[in-house]
Amino acid sequence: MQDYRTLKILDRFEKVFSNLGVDYKVMRRILQVKLTMDGRRVPTIFSQNSGKQVKETTNQYIKSLWIYVFFGLFLIPFILLGNHYLFQMSIFYGIFTIFIMTSLISDFSSVLLDIRDRNILYPKPVDRRTISTAKMVHVFIYLSFLTIALAGIPLIVGFIRHGFLFFILSFVNIIFIDLLIVILTAFIYMFILQFFDGEKLKDIINYVQIGLSLGIMVGYQLLIRSFDLFNFTITFQAKWWQLFIFPMWYGANTELVMNGNIQPLFILLTVLSVLIPLISIWVYIKLNPTFEQNLQKLTYHGKAKERKQSMINRFILKVLCPTKEERSFFRFASLMMKNERDFKLKVYPSLGFSIVIPFLFFINGINNDFEQLSKGNSYFSIYFSLIIIPTIIVLLKFSGKYKGAWIYKAAPIQQLKPMFSAVIKAFLFKLYLPVYLFLSVLFIWIFGVRILPDLLVVFINACIYAVLCFMMLPKTIPFSESFDYYNQNNKTAILLGLMVIVAVFAGLHYISTLIHFGIYLYLVIAIVGLALLWKAAFNISWENIEG
Amino acid sequence: MEEIILSIHDLQKSYGRKEVLKGVSLEVKRGEIIGYIGANGAGKSTTIKIMLGIESDYRGEVKIFGHDISNGDITYKRKIGYVPEIAEVYDNLTGHEYLTFIGEMYGLDFDLADYKAKSLMELFGIGEVYHSRIASYSKGMRQKLLIISSLLHNPELIFFDEPINGLDANSVMIFKEIMTQLAAQGKTIFYSSHIMDVVEKISSRIILLMDGKVVADGTFDELKEQNTEGSLEQIFNELTGFNEHKELGTRFVSVVGEM
Repeated sequence: MQDYRTLKILDRFEKVFSNLGVDYKVMRRILQVKLTMDGRRVPTIFSQNSGKQVKETTNQYIKSLWIYVFFGLFLIPFILLGNHYLFQMSIFYGIFTIFIMTSLISDFSSVLLDIRDRNILYPKPVDRRTISTAKMVHVFIYLSFLTIALAGIPLIVGFIRHGFLFFILSFVNIIFIDLLIVILTAFIYMFILQFFDGEKLKDIINYVQIGLSLGIMVGYQLLIRSFDLFNFTITFQAKWWQLFIFPMWYGANTELVMNGNIQPLFILLTVLSVLIPLISIWVYIKLNPTFEQNLQKLTYHGKAKERKQSMINRFILKVLCPTKEERSFFRFASLMMKNERDFKLKVYPSLGFSIVIPFLFFINGINNDFEQLSKGNSYFSIYFSLIIIPTIIVLLKFSGKYKGAWIYKAAPIQQLKPMFSAVIKAFLFKLYLPVYLFLSVLFIWIFGVRILPDLLVVFINACIYAVLCFMMLPKTIPFSESFDYYNQNNKTAILLGLMVIVAVFAGLHYISTLIHFGIYLYLVIAIVGLALLWKAAFNISWENIEG
Repeated sequence: MEEIILSIHDLQKSYGRKEVLKGVSLEVKRGEIIGYIGANGAGKSTTIKIMLGIESDYRGEVKIFGHDISNGDITYKRKIGYVPEIAEVYDNLTGHEYLTFIGEMYGLDFDLADYKAKSLMELFGIGEVYHSRIASYSKGMRQKLLIISSLLHNPELIFFDEPINGLDANSVMIFKEIMTQLAAQGKTIFYSSHIMDVVEKISSRIILLMDGKVVADGTFDELKEQNTEGSLEQIFNELTGFNEHKELGTRFVSVVGEM
């Protein structure tokens, strides 16, 4: 186990910790173990393209910080812009808060919520104060890295642009904001655990992770396109709810100090900016024992209510899957897609992304010339939502709980056809259709009901596409491999080739709109094509299976 | 007089409204191997967790090595070893990293902990995975690792909560031998398990817990005298008032046969 530079810096404060009654040597050792474990965890921000080639010595976490440095660069314009500190810095601190908080929840929850500590460390002759201080210092180390990565360069720019006073003020503000974020996150966990059990909390954390991944995917796209967003008009009107937006407190204190703009409201906000962090520290220390107690609930699995299938669902299922085997695989596959957290973390961001991409192509049109846009045929950009299909079909073979796959071998499964067709159906109806319906509603709102037949055609095309992808990609038993092997053998060429097919679909579709009633003809052809293709696609025996 | 290592007096503990322990009292002398048995949910693990300071907030008195453990002094833990029921470990560490860490938590020197951990792993037949991540271990390997981690610091009092879970028959024999020799050296062992014939063979005294209370306490022979049945399993059934196994089994099998 390596010795960390961070710990060597910490060594200088040994006296401080000893005076607090902390066994420094033990705490240092605990931290060393924790940092080693952190290095082996793959941060969410990287999880989109993780491979097996993780090397022992390179800390994945430190590497992920570069992405935050990159995002930090986008904060610089808010500092350079001018002297409207209230406005600029409120946005600056707001974005900063969102980044730190999502990252804290998605990657550091495991630290805040680690109940192994309790079972592993409590029986050892180590006193509670040392354990809890180690936890605090651990969070502190993590937060300082993150904060420096994100705000370091912007602060230096601020120093050059606005001077030393600005730098010091921002520095102190950021420390206060960090404090507030940690305590706020702890309060949120405390709140959730008070009312729900651990499973619910894990779900919520999972959704934050999904949101972070999606946010980063979309963020790249938007940041590049959004520079014209910066010509905003700056008017400020005091509203009561602004009192609750804490990044604004810090914007206000910057305004107060830098511009000497002494308004009663600004004074109030400035007072809040100092007072609330201090009060929350005190409350946190008071409530920490309750928090630790509630953490025990993480292991507790409450009695869940039995969910009955509604008649409608049963009926739909019967229509979708005529045979019994197919129905049971469909049910299993949809449950896996809905409940397996690792799978969701990998797949749901892409689903979200497929909602966003079609809009990226006419985003400027929405603002400028809505009339013209809604009459045109930009709705063809909905075809871009298809490009996630091959990626997800590849992902269908993975699962965080891949070890459960022994059941396929143990159970007397003779025909693989129902299994594969059910999994593709489950993907189309449980994952793709909801996304597509949502997109359709938005598109109909923009382009009018006239595009309804087109939307139908696109969906049928999506189904055909999914089947084609399935046929061309190597076949593996669904949910049977570890995500560690994702991206191991590169299939980029196949995936790019498959994207060409989307273009062909879109082209044919476009030609059909040139003919009178051509779209309906195309619809009929597509449905027949899908039916024929479906019959042929899934005749697979065990010999065709890879791995 | 023999030295009393551990004494519990009228121990009560509840989670919310649910009372788990309803006044447990017992005393353990040096060198004893206590078989601590009871049905699922009887409160065995809770008792052990309280003695280790994992659970606090109990009523009653717990004294270990003659000192009340509720006074905040934790030095008593230096002489205690513990194998938990649920194998929670930092499994993204290697065996080497985890064991040296645990050793150091007990105040061992890194090199000594490393040497002992390595030798013990080798003796237990899992030396080759010493530098592999624990996450890759089989169930038996993990259990062996836990047993080693509980003994590194040569404890006086050892709590084993289902320690032979997942161990093969040969390893169980090694483990039983280890326990007997430790006890002969004057170590005290508190052994909790559901596997009755192992408990019957190795325990010098058996304590049976039911619904948060001690319902039997004595050597196997004493228990046999008090009860009509022969084996510990049967005594267990009798004391816990359970005699429906035949009927339940029959009904179970008949449901299995339904088509």
